[in-house]
Amino acid sequence: MQDDDSQPVISGTGVNFAFGQGELRRQILFDVKIDVQPGEIVLLTGPSGSGKTTLLTLIAGLRSMQEGTLNVLGYSLHRASDSDLLDLRRKIGFIFQAHNLLPCLTALQNVQIMFDLQPDVSQKEGRDRAKEMLTQVGLGQRLDYHVSRLSGGQKQRVAIARALVGCPQLVLADEPTAALDGASGREVVNLLQGLARRENRPILMVTHDARVLDIADRIIEMQDGRLSMEPSARTGEALFGAGRPFAEGSLR
Amino acid sequence: MGQRIALSWLQLKHEKMKLFAAVMGVMVSVVLMWMQLGLMKALFASAVVFHGSLDGELIVIHSQYEHLLHCKQFSSRLLYRLRGSSDVMDLFSIYLAPVEWKNPWNGEMRSMQCYGVETQTPSLTLPGFEEQMHHLRRTDAFLYDRLGRPRFGEVAGANALEQIIEPEINRRRMTLAGIIDLGASFGIDGNIVVSHANFLRLFSERNSGEIDIGVVKLRPGVSVPQVQQQFQALLGKEVSVLTREQFKDVELAYWQSATPIGIIFSAGTVVGFFIGFIVVYQILYTDVTNHLPHYATMKAMGFSGRYLNRLVFEQSVLLATLGFIPGTLVAAALYAGLRRVTQLPLSIEPGRGLALAVITVAMCVFSGMLAVRKLKSADPADVF
Repeated sequence: MQDDDSQPVISGTGVNFAFGQGELRRQILFDVKIDVQPGEIVLLTGPSGSGKTTLLTLIAGLRSMQEGTLNVLGYSLHRASDSDLLDLRRKIGFIFQAHNLLPCLTALQNVQIMFDLQPDVSQKEGRDRAKEMLTQVGLGQRLDYHVSRLSGGQKQRVAIARALVGCPQLVLADEPTAALDGASGREVVNLLQGLARRENRPILMVTHDARVLDIADRIIEMQDGRLSMEPSARTGEALFGAGRPFAEGSLR
Repeated sequence: MGQRIALSWLQLKHEKMKLFAAVMGVMVSVVLMWMQLGLMKALFASAVVFHGSLDGELIVIHSQYEHLLHCKQFSSRLLYRLRGSSDVMDLFSIYLAPVEWKNPWNGEMRSMQCYGVETQTPSLTLPGFEEQMHHLRRTDAFLYDRLGRPRFGEVAGANALEQIIEPEINRRRMTLAGIIDLGASFGIDGNIVVSHANFLRLFSERNSGEIDIGVVKLRPGVSVPQVQQQFQALLGKEVSVLTREQFKDVELAYWQSATPIGIIFSAGTVVGFFIGFIVVYQILYTDVTNHLPHYATMKAMGFSGRYLNRLVFEQSVLLATLGFIPGTLVAAALYAGLRRVTQLPLSIEPGRGLALAVITVAMCVFSGMLAVRKLKSADPADVF
């Protein structure tokens, strides 16, 4: 099903979500409808507190669905079992704002460890693929560096290699550039975009960072738990680029 | 889902000071447990060295026998009734009583245990006893226990037998005739062995027909339990016919109930266990706490709780191993030192080693089990 190009990778309708109970109940998501097609790069933007991250954790199977339907990579997430959610997460590549690489491991080991989730991949193959992936993100010379000896941008690139090395069917990224300066942020996003395009992997990225909006096929904006609109890349351009070529504008 | 990168080890190794502290903690705990258990075992073992050296399958004692220092005599005629049995190869009688020993160097009076034995056939299997037994036939000759406490003087010095050492024992001048190894124990600081005749010279009030211990040497191939029952019936209620092991048990039972040694050393062992437990728990717990964001990330990426639990357990087993080996080596060195100073029969026994290894691993795994509960608070939803 996930290989079927016509099937959306993510499709959700009527998603409601609230934290707390009774008096303290605070609704975060209101009747959200979201679709991501295979190979699509979709950015999710909006002010903080608008529910982007909550939506992302629901899609990732990290929180239980409360209301609505949500299908991700063929898994129906409403009342999904823990083991289904675990299976789903193993098919997703995650990139977090904090890279959370294991400090006791080298760059290579941090990527290679993902193959502990894929027992059918031999140790040697895992190692080779991890090397290959790190080379693709430009860290071929730093395979055996411990995390502490890498710069912020390099760490985030290791995290990208880690997210992509297992050939995930979907990449979820949460503010991957937030902790980086403009140049490294750009680099990381370009890298992500290039790798995703080459392998035709869909990406759903939460970001605040107006500098990187141009990589998107589509931008979804959230406001107070609702999708305020679903503008096309062109409208995104209109919003942020103001007639200039967007990539250039975003670099300023 | 196993780790193909030795993550548990790399993570321990990453923080060298913490690893060192944890290994030291386990080590101290292992040394403590070895010492406590070893001393307890050795103290009890020292109380039955004499019992174990009796050269006979069955031992006859008064039925009210309590321990070596509180021994009731019974008539030797009872013992010699067994002479008629075709199962008996030899019978020995032993007298025993405390004597007053006057240190020949400083004149201090000390009490020590004196055994009166046969001098025709050896009744003790102590090393060197058989060769020196004939010396005891001389008037006022005695064999001195080299493993006794040093307070009796330099009796067993290197050239002891070349000089004439004639201490006063029970106000009687006696002559050193040889050296044996027996050892001090509860209430017994030293031992001498003399002949029956010399024993009666030392204790003029003792009746030669009243003995303390009877030793029965059976013919080879005789069923001991059967003969034991038969002899007990024959000798009646005044005496107990025991196997050597049972005789030891009687002695040990007394000292176990009369002294708090068992409790003290068991408590010490438990303390050792908890020291290791707490140190390992602290280390693993802080390690898990420090790594919570990483573990939450791993959970989010699809690593199962089991994978992470196993990580912590592997770390605990590694710590157990790393602490146990040097701990046992340190204990062995301490044992050797203590053996020299106290003459206690301390030894690293493989059986106990295995038991302690199991206890150490259990200790670390328990700590791991507690620390692992903290892993539950690694909520993958918080990573975003």
